[in-house]
Amino acid sequence: MGPLFSILFLFLLTSCVPLQKTEVGNLVISDKQVWQGEKRINGIIRVTREGSLTLLPGTRLVFSRIDHDADGIGDAELFVEGEFVARGTKTQPILLTSAAENPQPGDWKFLYFDYARKVEIEYLISEYAYSGVQVHFCRAQISRSEFRYNIDGVRFSTANISLKNSYLHHNRHGIRYEERGGRGVVQQNRISDNQIGIFAVTRGAGLTLFEQNDIIDNKPYQVKMGLQQTTALDFPRNWWGDVRGLSAETVFDQRRDRSLGRVTATEPLDRSIDAIR
Amino acid sequence: MEKVLRPVFILLLLMFCVSSLAFSCVGKSLEIGMTGSVQQEVLANIIAELIDERTGTSVKIVSFESSDEAHAALLKADIDMYVEYTGVGQTVILQAQPMADAAELYKAVKDRYNEELNLIWLKPLGFDAAQSLGVTLPAEAAPVVRKDTLKKFPALARLINKLGGKIDHQTISSLVKEASTGQPKQVAHGFLKNNRLI
Repeated sequence: MGPLFSILFLFLLTSCVPLQKTEVGNLVISDKQVWQGEKRINGIIRVTREGSLTLLPGTRLVFSRIDHDADGIGDAELFVEGEFVARGTKTQPILLTSAAENPQPGDWKFLYFDYARKVEIEYLISEYAYSGVQVHFCRAQISRSEFRYNIDGVRFSTANISLKNSYLHHNRHGIRYEERGGRGVVQQNRISDNQIGIFAVTRGAGLTLFEQNDIIDNKPYQVKMGLQQTTALDFPRNWWGDVRGLSAETVFDQRRDRSLGRVTATEPLDRSIDAIR
Repeated sequence: MEKVLRPVFILLLLMFCVSSLAFSCVGKSLEIGMTGSVQQEVLANIIAELIDERTGTSVKIVSFESSDEAHAALLKADIDMYVEYTGVGQTVILQAQPMADAAELYKAVKDRYNEELNLIWLKPLGFDAAQSLGVTLPAEAAPVVRKDTLKKFPALARLINKLGGKIDHQTISSLVKEASTGQPKQVAHGFLKNNRLI
């Protein structure tokens, strides 16, 4: 009874300790770590191939505005090659944000996955970054999350990404991607009020399925083809904010530059999917 | 021997591909120089906005006191490009004799920059700045870019050359006037939008 009581007592004690705000500089994580509370990030956090980082509901990572190379983009970042699990809840989302008093897009660099072993994100908010999240050469599951006030909300290349039930708004690019053979699914999201809703930079071949999303009020362009996106792309079964479907005026494609592929939006929905629940 | 070398070659190739992709994905910037005047500021912003909007690559503008300084920075790879004038390139940078024929002058500086300096003159923008620079020989404005930058960004020359011949004397005067009282970045953006380039 004695040891059991002690363990229970310790558990209650640690549960009741107020969450501390801690400062983190450059850090390499090669073991298994679980973070909670608020952490001020003053450098580059790297989770190695062997490492694992779990963020508990309500965790806040606050990135300092640091720009050592003076390129105008903040240098603080979270770079993951190992495992990353961030499952917040509806009432206790996980927040990644800027520490600046007057925060701006690009204050910190990104949450970046490069050949990551495991990426699971739910109820996470990422804001004021260069990229709210970047996914490269790996699988990633992102759902019920919010990406706002970034240069790129969600950016991926050569990735098998599943992006669902999320809200991407007030970014320069809601989604920016280079498909390069990756197979992604982008469904049931609201992509609105960005300057560009979807920016298909290059090497898109239609393997990434964008369907049943609300893609509305992205100005000047709902969809834009990058300079080297010469293949036609279809974005079927989405709500474009208009029963007539996607307006050509809101697309930058072959109709503006003959070297580009053409954008189509077949079977447009006639109403909002009400993606935000 | 081949059995040994093949995996090494594949590994090196993979490392090269990954590093190239990483460069394009991280969002690092290209750097464009400008040499002080409002005209230079407008032109640098036009090129910067065009690259940024069409490729997603961020571009930083760096200011210099003179063509000499900008040229030195270009040679050192501190910047990737800047807009130069053919007459200045010929007489100030190359220290060569003035030439009266605009087309011959452009060809002369383009060839010598390429062969001797590994720098590429792209298409002239469409106006002659001789009058505003206070010189008598021709001074066509054109972007000068490092050859290795064009190798890293193969589509860059084709993109910037979309500006070739698009900015005549009347257009640059109007843009400079607008930028003198407004934001050069916005003026550049408006020009590109009006010409359906972004």
